[in-house]
Amino acid sequence: MRKNILFDHLCRYAATNSLFLRIKLTGLIVLIMCVQVSAGSFAQQKININASKASITSLLKEIEKQTEYRFVYSHNTLSNDKKTSLNVSDASLQETMSYLLRETSLSYALKESNLVVIFPSSTADKRDIVIAGKVLDETGIPLPGVSVKVSGLSVATATDGNGAFAIRVPDGRAILEISSIGFQKQFITVGNNTVINVVLKIDSQGLKEVVVTGYTSYKRVESPSASTFVAAEKINDVPGLTLDQILQGRVPGMSVISTSGQPGQAASTVIRGIGSINGSSTPLYVLDGVPIEGTYFQTINPADIESAIVLKDASAKSLYGSRGSNGVIILTTKKGKSGKVAVNYTSQYGFSNLSRPNFAMMNAEQRLRFEEEIGVDFGLTLGPGWTYSPKNPSYTSGTDISRKRADRILDSLRNVNTDWRDLFFQRGKFQEQQVSISGGNEKVRFYNSLNYYNQEGVAKRTGQERYALRSNVDFKDDKFSGSVNISIGYSQSSFTEDEGGTTKGGAMASVYYALPYEYPYASDGTLVHPGNSSSYFILDQRSGSQGLERLLNTSNKTDQLKSIIGTSFAYQILPELKLSTKAGIDYRNSTDQIFVNPDSYYGSTIVAYTMGGKGRFEEGSRRNFNIVSTTGLTYNKVFNKLHDVEVSGFYEYVYSNFNSFGFVGYGIDGRLPETPAGVTNGSSTFFPSVNGGKTRSALASFMGVGRYTYNEKYTVTGSYRYDGSTKVDPTNKWHGFYSFGANWNAKKEDFLAGVEAISNLSTRISYGLTASPIGGDFNYLATYGSTSYGGVNGIRPTTPGNPEYDWEYVKEFNTGFDLGLCKNRLNITVDYYNRITSNMFINQPLSATGGFSSLNLSTGKMRNRGIEFDINGDVIKTRDFTWNIGANAGYNKNKILHVTDLIDSFPDGDTRVIQVGLPYGTYLAPKWAGVDPKNGDALYYNKDGSITNVYNSNAQSVTESGSLYPTFTGGFNTSLSYKGITASALFTFVADVMRWNNEDFYTESQRYAPTTNQSVRMLNDRWKKEGDENAILQRYNQPRNYTSKDIQDASFLRLRNVNIGYIIPKGLLEKTGFIKGVKVFVQGQNLLTWTKWRGLDPENNSVYGRFQYPNTRTYTAGLNVNF
Amino acid sequence: MINQLYKKYVLVLFVLAIGTSCTKLDFKPTDTIPPDQAFRNVNDINLGLLGAYALVDYSMISLSTITSDEATFPVENSVGNNDAFRWLYNSGSGSVTSLYYDYYKAIDRVNRTIEGMDLLTFTGNDVATANRYRGELLALRAYLHFELLRSYAEAYRPGALGVTYMKKSQLGYPARDNFEAVIAAANEDLVAAKALIPATFNDKTRVTKLAVSAMQARVALYAKNWADAIIYATEVINASPLASKTQFPGIWKDANDDEVIWKLKRVGTTDSNLGGLFYRQTGGIVSYAPAFKLIAAFDQVNDLRYPAYIKFDATRTGTKSKYLVNKYIGGTTTPGLTDIKMFRTGEMYLIRAEAEAESTGDAAGDLNKLRAARINGYVDVTFAGKTALIEAIYTERYKELALEGHRFFDLKRRNLAVERLEADAAGAGSALTLSLTQAQYALPIPAVELSVNKNVIQNPNY
Repeated sequence: MRKNILFDHLCRYAATNSLFLRIKLTGLIVLIMCVQVSAGSFAQQKININASKASITSLLKEIEKQTEYRFVYSHNTLSNDKKTSLNVSDASLQETMSYLLRETSLSYALKESNLVVIFPSSTADKRDIVIAGKVLDETGIPLPGVSVKVSGLSVATATDGNGAFAIRVPDGRAILEISSIGFQKQFITVGNNTVINVVLKIDSQGLKEVVVTGYTSYKRVESPSASTFVAAEKINDVPGLTLDQILQGRVPGMSVISTSGQPGQAASTVIRGIGSINGSSTPLYVLDGVPIEGTYFQTINPADIESAIVLKDASAKSLYGSRGSNGVIILTTKKGKSGKVAVNYTSQYGFSNLSRPNFAMMNAEQRLRFEEEIGVDFGLTLGPGWTYSPKNPSYTSGTDISRKRADRILDSLRNVNTDWRDLFFQRGKFQEQQVSISGGNEKVRFYNSLNYYNQEGVAKRTGQERYALRSNVDFKDDKFSGSVNISIGYSQSSFTEDEGGTTKGGAMASVYYALPYEYPYASDGTLVHPGNSSSYFILDQRSGSQGLERLLNTSNKTDQLKSIIGTSFAYQILPELKLSTKAGIDYRNSTDQIFVNPDSYYGSTIVAYTMGGKGRFEEGSRRNFNIVSTTGLTYNKVFNKLHDVEVSGFYEYVYSNFNSFGFVGYGIDGRLPETPAGVTNGSSTFFPSVNGGKTRSALASFMGVGRYTYNEKYTVTGSYRYDGSTKVDPTNKWHGFYSFGANWNAKKEDFLAGVEAISNLSTRISYGLTASPIGGDFNYLATYGSTSYGGVNGIRPTTPGNPEYDWEYVKEFNTGFDLGLCKNRLNITVDYYNRITSNMFINQPLSATGGFSSLNLSTGKMRNRGIEFDINGDVIKTRDFTWNIGANAGYNKNKILHVTDLIDSFPDGDTRVIQVGLPYGTYLAPKWAGVDPKNGDALYYNKDGSITNVYNSNAQSVTESGSLYPTFTGGFNTSLSYKGITASALFTFVADVMRWNNEDFYTESQRYAPTTNQSVRMLNDRWKKEGDENAILQRYNQPRNYTSKDIQDASFLRLRNVNIGYIIPKGLLEKTGFIKGVKVFVQGQNLLTWTKWRGLDPENNSVYGRFQYPNTRTYTAGLNVNF
Repeated sequence: MINQLYKKYVLVLFVLAIGTSCTKLDFKPTDTIPPDQAFRNVNDINLGLLGAYALVDYSMISLSTITSDEATFPVENSVGNNDAFRWLYNSGSGSVTSLYYDYYKAIDRVNRTIEGMDLLTFTGNDVATANRYRGELLALRAYLHFELLRSYAEAYRPGALGVTYMKKSQLGYPARDNFEAVIAAANEDLVAAKALIPATFNDKTRVTKLAVSAMQARVALYAKNWADAIIYATEVINASPLASKTQFPGIWKDANDDEVIWKLKRVGTTDSNLGGLFYRQTGGIVSYAPAFKLIAAFDQVNDLRYPAYIKFDATRTGTKSKYLVNKYIGGTTTPGLTDIKMFRTGEMYLIRAEAEAESTGDAAGDLNKLRAARINGYVDVTFAGKTALIEAIYTERYKELALEGHRFFDLKRRNLAVERLEADAAGAGSALTLSLTQAQYALPIPAVELSVNKNVIQNPNY
């Protein structure tokens, strides 16, 4: 009751009196409250007075009568002629006094023995200085509601709607503390200033202090969870990257490897090592509480992301039960801030090139010389280099005219010297425009953004265009709070032909295969391809021109419409009990379109692909719908200020369905390209076909989570989740997942509290059980599907089924600590984990006699064990200059512990093996023993160590070539800011990873040499004559076999991002009146790469290097304006 | 106060209860058929049977083309892998091991369909239809096992390692049956099949009674059961005479199917394209050209088979092969899309001739009759003796059945080495001879099969 009266009092004053008075009163009330707390232990004595127009002194006497309080005052300060009214019943001293003294400038203080001293509060005021000022954020927007406090005193105020404040301080030595949630606290010594303007910096540290899991949010020092927080400034504004790729190098233990340089393509993200062979290793992404698809980020605008938290250990992941074992990435989008409406506009432009111009193919002169050498040595005709060579017997035996003609031909071919990269790659343009409008008041806040993004790829015809819209509203009114987050995005992607394929005629492969003396166009501008080459004098294979003709006459596009809607509401039923409910939808519709121009050579060649030889048009849509609903109760209460208990219970239901539909049409009218209208119907030659399918799944869960913290020092947590899924056999349908964890906040201990050097120390430990999501919806079932014979439908068994097919269980132990040194200038986080997948899906090969080549078994066991660390420190931190360095890395060791009861190893694809005791991804290859200097034979090691020139992959294959999955990944970054200039750099690395470079197999092989260009190593480094000790490649006519030399080191270190910015001084902008802040910046992506990899790009998650779309080097420049 | 609290908790529990009630976890797949729904009636049995037919393909043709002396691997084929052509295959080479998986898969489909059928009772007209289906299924089972035996048997003699004969659908790890056991089981199935298929059923795209006879004849030839070979070949010859000279070229363009006993129907865009094995439309690349040895074997002027089988294209220059396989050019819609001829009367003449040469010695008649049907102005020849006769029959088989999936196995039947001409070997740099002592003379059992099925023994020398 008394507090209400006090606030009542405050409000009335605030409404009617000047700012000055209000500040005084605020200080007074704070003082009173402090006194109040200390007086709380005295016996409560009730006062009943009903008097009007009485003097204060008489009233005080009346109180003395009713209670044991005794008043001490000077008669100078309390004259008898001052009349007042007082009407209180059963009131405390505080209530009575505050009423009594409300119109005076008097204060009182309760001393020992119920002695109440009354004194004029104005006595202190005489020496006070009034400080006024304004608080702004970094972009110049006024911040309302910021607390301004005098250090060591109980004097405090808050900024108004314009960010303005005024406060009384005793003298110039006073220190102001300016703080607001989400911003870094500032301390300013008053000195001789009377006006102090403050700019608050956004405090990601503050957000970092909380571990949000989607079901709970615990303080980091009270959480047993190993998690990594990535703040907005690390995510926003990076050009040309999807959300997942931006997290690369930011999170220890999380490996993010690009799958393609195609703009918008999702990366392959793996947290703490691959934990599944035939299941999924993709982490669960949760955006504003809605689980979203982990591979579709094309339409998600990274600039809308406020923060990402990566949950890595069981205590946090097991809250997600059967979906959590691969880690969970919690994404939160931006919220509005109360205050004036803020408009932020960012614009950037740039371009992309190849990230690594690594290209070691022969040029025209080299190729012709190579053809001549092979002709001389082996009498083989690879091409005109030998046909017209002066060393060719037919040249010498020819006529003078024929010799001159030969010379002329060779000369002109030499001069063609086409660099095929110029024809298949391009400089890709980039632009992005982003506007956000945000604002609100104490009750409702909003954030809206609109984003346009357009990036051309470095491969011709590729690119992505995106329109993304977001609207976030959140509100809080007394006990009711909630938020609605809506995003909708549309993207259009265009792809190249046969990316990552070795087929001749594919765009990427053509760059390598095409002969350097081939030029696609005739002098009249006609593209000369195999279809019209007979009309021209062509001496090459036309493989590049064929690829180009195909590229120019086809299209491959995907449009995506995606909407993510998340709503959450909470009602505080009781101070300690909260009811919350969330619901969300993740909807995507992708429309794929493939077109082959009927009027082209490629489109008119009659093959199965262009049935009837009049092009092809196909369109298909894939619709994914996901809905989630979570409802629960959270009970949180602190007992006796020591026992902090939080318990929650939730019910959750997740439903997904997937529908696809498509058709393929033929007999296209070239005048109606890229539309179904161009398709011929009703013709038996151009018979169209229809495809598609449907599937659905659901997950129902009951869960309970609890935390108990004693005295802010010791925390224990526990969780249990009971999941029921449609994806396993009904006998295994329901399963429980649990976790236990503990945290010790050592800094709170007496022995550390006084140690200044250590500003933070907490340790944690957790253990729990989770499972990995199952890929297929009905993998456990034996099924029959359709097939056809001679155009008539039949049925066939499609899967053998396995009722024992069960979840892949992952048990994970984690322990780690957070250490902050020197006022948190240096922060160190270290975690150790041991993660064991049991019941792992093994696609075990079967005897062919059973009719199926493999069976899904739940028998495997695999371990990932590792350590990860994150170090971040401010090397220099002064008012004007800060320099920060951070590094993080994860070391993970993978080992297969069990395969099946029947076998310990079996081949995994054609180059790898799954074998007990070895890491997953281990290569199996005969060991290359070099080239015999005597005769140029290729040499191989037998298993007994002897060397032979006889190749036998079965007998010679060993597992000594390493593994596909890296053991050591990480990144390091540095940033500095000096006055308005900021600069940052991020490096990422992947170490100890081997990949099968399949490109060599085509570009250094006698089999392909006659028709495709070869690497310069084929010219310079092949064995030519006896005694060639340093030959890398065998004699030309020796077969090129797959050996350990094809398994190459794909480790790399990459300068991922450099960003340099300049904030234009405020003084220059003030004249405009409406522009609050301007920042200009330039940045570069993938600027430098250090690697031994000889293929296109070391960064690719594919098991082999096969002309994949390389990552791009992007330069952009941009502008950020706040209004 | 307590009452109010109680009310709030009740409210909360109510909300939770509503949430719980939307638990729905009994989904069934929409796009696949559960096993208990697979075989409901006689029509479903037909669907299962067609599922088995769907897996029968031209693998035998490609195997023999790649490994024998019928074809050459031209220089222009930079898109294909010539390891198999150069006899460098081993248990890891998919080019020679995929048949092992495909045909056992087909056998499993047959067995599942038979087992599905065993659970049904048929009435009325369905009884006869079901019997016919059972006959087709049993014949297919015999045929598929026999083709596996031809490919993977260590040798074609009693006691040699054969292949496992699967009489029911079962996931297991069985050992290989011996050659003679497979022959016996196949014969048993064929006899049963023959009794079930009515003679009136004459759909050549499926196994007819006559096709069963043709299968029996071929099995008897490999089993060196000359008497049976003569009986069954005669059954076919009597029922299906050789194509006329005017009709013969049309067989290969799917204009007619005279003398074809069984063929695999090929239509549409997704069916396998046999012509594509020899000629790749994209880029216009000849993958396999007819061997110069084969070209030289024909009387190019008078033999009808020469133009039907082989095409000469003078416009192809440089390293491009001027000779192309014409036999599988197919119809008019999609180049290379052609029905795959599994059994022809021509083969039956050659089977009977060989069996006669080995037993009664009276084979010249059949050989001359076949030649007369194929060669203009042919005059009957007399043969010096059995050896000369067998040699002539082999040469005739080489020509008549060129690139039809016989040559490699014919050579193996009589323990003859595969011998290529220098000109045929040069393109790919292959050796000239595949001798009997080399592992590759028998195709390898797949490596994966060996690694998971410890009861299986690999063929010698691998």
